[in-house]
Formats: sequence, structure tokens, C-alpha cells
Amino acid sequence: MKTPPEDHDLLRWLDGEMSAAERERFDARLAADPALKAEAGMMQRLSADLRTHLPAELPVPYGDFFNSQIQRRLSQEQEQPAQVPAAAGWLGWLRLQWLAPLGLAAVVIAAGLTTLKQGAPAGGSDTYVHSIYVPNTAVHASTYHSMDAKATVLMLDGLEEMPADRKIVGFNITRGEMDEAVAATTLFDAEDNAVAVISKDARSQPVLLTSSPAR
Amino acid sequence: MKPVPAFSMLSLIRRSTLLAGLALLASLSAPVAHGQGSPPVQPLPSKKPDTDAKVWGALVFASNDPKEAASMPKVDVPAEFADIPQRLGKVFPYKHIDVIGQHLQDVFREYESWVVPTKDLFLKVDSKGPAKEGGMNLHLQFWRDQQVIVKTDAVLTAETPLFIAGPKWRGGQLLFVLVLQKGS
Amino acid sequence: MPASTAPEPGEVPDIDLVKRCQAGDTRAFDVLVSRYKGRIYAMTYHMIQNETEAWDLSQEAFIKAWRALPSFKMDSAFYTWLYRITHNVVYDWLRKKKIQGDGEFDDSRTEHRIAAGAEAVPHGDQAPDTALKNAELGRRIQQAIAKLSPEHQQIILLREVEGLAYEEIAAAIPCSLGTVMSRLFYARKKLQELLKDCYENAA
Repeated sequence: MKTPPEDHDLLRWLDGEMSAAERERFDARLAADPALKAEAGMMQRLSADLRTHLPAELPVPYGDFFNSQIQRRLSQEQEQPAQVPAAAGWLGWLRLQWLAPLGLAAVVIAAGLTTLKQGAPAGGSDTYVHSIYVPNTAVHASTYHSMDAKATVLMLDGLEEMPADRKIVGFNITRGEMDEAVAATTLFDAEDNAVAVISKDARSQPVLLTSSPAR
Repeated sequence: MKPVPAFSMLSLIRRSTLLAGLALLASLSAPVAHGQGSPPVQPLPSKKPDTDAKVWGALVFASNDPKEAASMPKVDVPAEFADIPQRLGKVFPYKHIDVIGQHLQDVFREYESWVVPTKDLFLKVDSKGPAKEGGMNLHLQFWRDQQVIVKTDAVLTAETPLFIAGPKWRGGQLLFVLVLQKGS
Repeated sequence: MPASTAPEPGEVPDIDLVKRCQAGDTRAFDVLVSRYKGRIYAMTYHMIQNETEAWDLSQEAFIKAWRALPSFKMDSAFYTWLYRITHNVVYDWLRKKKIQGDGEFDDSRTEHRIAAGAEAVPHGDQAPDTALKNAELGRRIQQAIAKLSPEHQQIILLREVEGLAYEEIAAAIPCSLGTVMSRLFYARKKLQELLKDCYENAA
């Protein structure tokens, strides 16, 4: 596919690919040719608008999870655990120490119990998940540590959506009092109103009795 | 506020639990407006069980729809947890992140504890004692109504909240947060 | 934005990380993922206009890059090489989906929402009508890009979004300089045609 040489010139002018001398000559052409000048102006506006509206970089949704998923897949692909090359030596090892927390691999499971292999983070101050059990085959659970949010995240993919017409009302509970005799907990709000009672039935299913409205 | 018990689920409950629930409801400060023929109940003996820590659980609605977000009644988040919505925003890409329910709860040493910021999504928490490296060893069960979604064993520390990605709802998503209260 | 940027002070250069990856160091790869995921995701998103698919395809691109790293000769910048892999991943996906028509794409794909975090309206205090016009132009540009053929999308993204010079584009695709200019010319012409009313009204 060929384009006429004068169009190449316009392109190269537009994209800053001309030498100073070439640019000077082309500027003179533009001054003498209103049609070419209008075309060049429109091309320039288009370029500027494209740059404005198509960012070169976008925040990746679930950015930390993005990284940990890749690490998980890499570790699945490698029969042997990753080895830092011997040539990197201590200097390399030291330079990589700041990355250590990123090494917390995410684990994904569906319907079953997984005991996570990774130990506690070196610092010992982060929440971490030892094991996950998911009874529903449609739900995939995974966990990872978000450095950005300084939080441990438990992702649950495949959960059934809550019906839109369901009215979900939040409580504002400041304390729960347990009665050992009946193994039930009464939940109170800030005004000391009892908002709900929760207990378990014989099948260990929760039984929640609420006052209404919730707040 | 006069609590009116919602008894729609009672048919599912065995008699013993029903009686326990009724007993407690009857002991609530406000009058209980259930059926006229409810059996009279005796005041229950009260004893405070030992606790290991305190946790804060929150129900969060995350959405990109300003109208939906504005329509949700919010709760006033205690200052010590005020940065949680902003931290959630770094994980869950939504424009509006609002705490719509919360529950500050003692974690009992020998008994289960419940964290119930809403009746629709709640956590059962069992203490397994303090963790060596700090924080609490906990067994958690995340429930949606009568179904357990996930069970986990985790170490919960005061520095790092646990964010649970709950179900989608009204074009957004429900999130659940569990934080160990500092110094608890 | 050049294909390879000079590392920030204290930042491990790409080439060192690549060498470590080639020796099996997954943590070094994690640094490269963190460094380039925003650009790879943006590029993928601009091509297919679907947040979820863009996320998955970006993952796929990085996994493919990891697998191919042992044969990477470091004869081009890491990002240029990664970009080429990503483009091929997206191109294959588009082909499999059979949404590639005769140079024009399915309009229904442009019925999308803007990616979370994407700036439909530029920053700054703008009058509401200016902001609206900008948002509308942004939407029209996204739609127009979606209608281009993969080759034209690629050349526009490399030049206008990535800011690569012709030689860098030729290396990334790879193709001759003449092909770069010719494709760029026709891609811009096509965009001009698709956005004609925006610019006529603005003039």
C-alpha cells in the first residue's frame, strides 16, 4: 500500500520525524497552501484528541490480584520452585528484598478445602488466610494481600447476585451480648435497643431474629 | 424504636432454639409485639463470657451509580476505621464506596461470636487464641442467609483488615470488612 | 512515551530483571508486571473495549511473555517485545471471536462503559458544557477506534498513545518504515472520516 510522497511529508511533519531543515521547508509550503494547512490543522487536532482521550496507562482493576494471579500461574507452570540465579549473589538478593511481600501467592479454589502453603509474611503484622473451604462448586475463592490497600482480600467469584428488589438494610450495632444458657447473642445499637438475636439451630444453621425496621 | 420481630423463618427452627429466641426477645427492653398467646418466660441468668478481642465488621455498598449510592442510608464510621472506604477503593474499582452497616463485637473466648452488620450477610467468628506473630487466630464462616459461602482459618491483625468480595447487587457490589480493633 | 524509559534512581533496570527472569526468578517478573501492566492493560482495553476481556488478555500476554523469555535475545527494549506479544494475543483473540470483518468492526462492541479509572473527562475545572463536549468526543473516539481494523488500531495506538517513533513502531510490529507511514496515513484518514462531524462542527 503506497501513499503519495507529499502525504509522507505531512505525516513526518505531524509526527516530528523531520529534520530542522525539512521542517522549515514544509512550514513554507503550509504557508503557501491553505488547503494543506487546513488538512494539517485537522490532523493535529485529531492527534491531540486521541492522546487526550486514549490514556497510555490505565489503572488495572484489582491490580494486586492481577500480579498474584500471574505468580500463581507461573508457580503452577514450574515443576521446581523459582530459583534466584546464583550469579545474582547477595547484592541481587538484597536489592530484591523490598519485593518480598509481593511474593505472597494467591490461591484459588472452587468447592473444597485448600490449606494454603505460604507462611506468615516476614513482618508478621499482616492478616493472612491459612485455609479456605468453599462448599458451592460454582464459587471460586482466592486470597491475596493488597500492598496498596494494606489489606488481605478474599475474592469470591461466581456468587449468585443479590436480587435487585431485595432491600438490604444495614444495622448499626455497638455490642452483642451472649447468653451462655441458651447460646444466643442479642445485638444492641448505640441507643441500647435490641436489634436482633442470633443463635444456631440443631443443624448448626444460623437463626436470626430481627426487629423491624433494622435501624 | 419499637422492635417488631420478624418471625417468617420460625417454621424452620427447632423448638429448643425457638424458645431460646423467644426468651431473649421477651427480655429485650422494648415491648415485643408478637402473638398474644406467647408463653410467659422467666428472666435468664446472665453471666458475661470471657473475651479475647474486639472486631469491627462492616457491610459496604460499592457502586458506580451515583443515584444508587446516594439512596443508601449510611452509618457513621468510628474514626479509627475511617480510612477503610478509601482502602477498599484501592482494591475494588468503584466510584462510590459507602459503609451501610456496621457491628462492633467482642470475640468470645469459648463461644462463637457473630458479626452481623446486616441480616443478609454476616460472619460467624470462633476464636482460636492469640497468634504467635501478633493478632488473633480465628475460624471464620461467611454466611448469606442460611447458606455458608466460605469457611476460612485466618490470622487477623489490627494493621491489616480483611476485605471479602460479596455478591453483586443493584449494579454494584456488597463488600464485607473485618478488622481487629487495636489494643483489644 | 518511549518504548523503554530510563529507570528511576534506585529502580532495577528492565535488562537486569529480564536476566533474572531468564534464570527462573518469578519475583523479578513480578516487578516487570507491576511496571508495565497499566500500559498493557490500556492498550488491550483500547483495542477490545471490554474491561473483563482486557484484564484476562493482559494476563495471557504476561504469561506468554514469561514462557517466551528464555528466547528473548534483548535485541529490542523489553516493552517493545512485550507489546508485540500482547498485540498478537489480542489479534488471535479477535480472530477467534470472528468479530473481524472487512476492515470495520462490529458497532455493538462500542456499547461499552468506560473502564474504571479511565478519564472520560480530562482533569481540571471545566465549564459543564465543555466537560460534556469532551466526554462526548472521548466516547466518539473510542467508538471510532473500535471500528478500525486491528492493523490500523495498532498503528494508531503505537503512535498516538504510546508515542513511539516510526523506527520503534517498525520494530514493534515488525514491518518496514514505508509500511508504518502508509498504515498511519490510512488509519488517520479513516479516523478523520469517522469523526468528520466532530471536527466540522468544531471548525
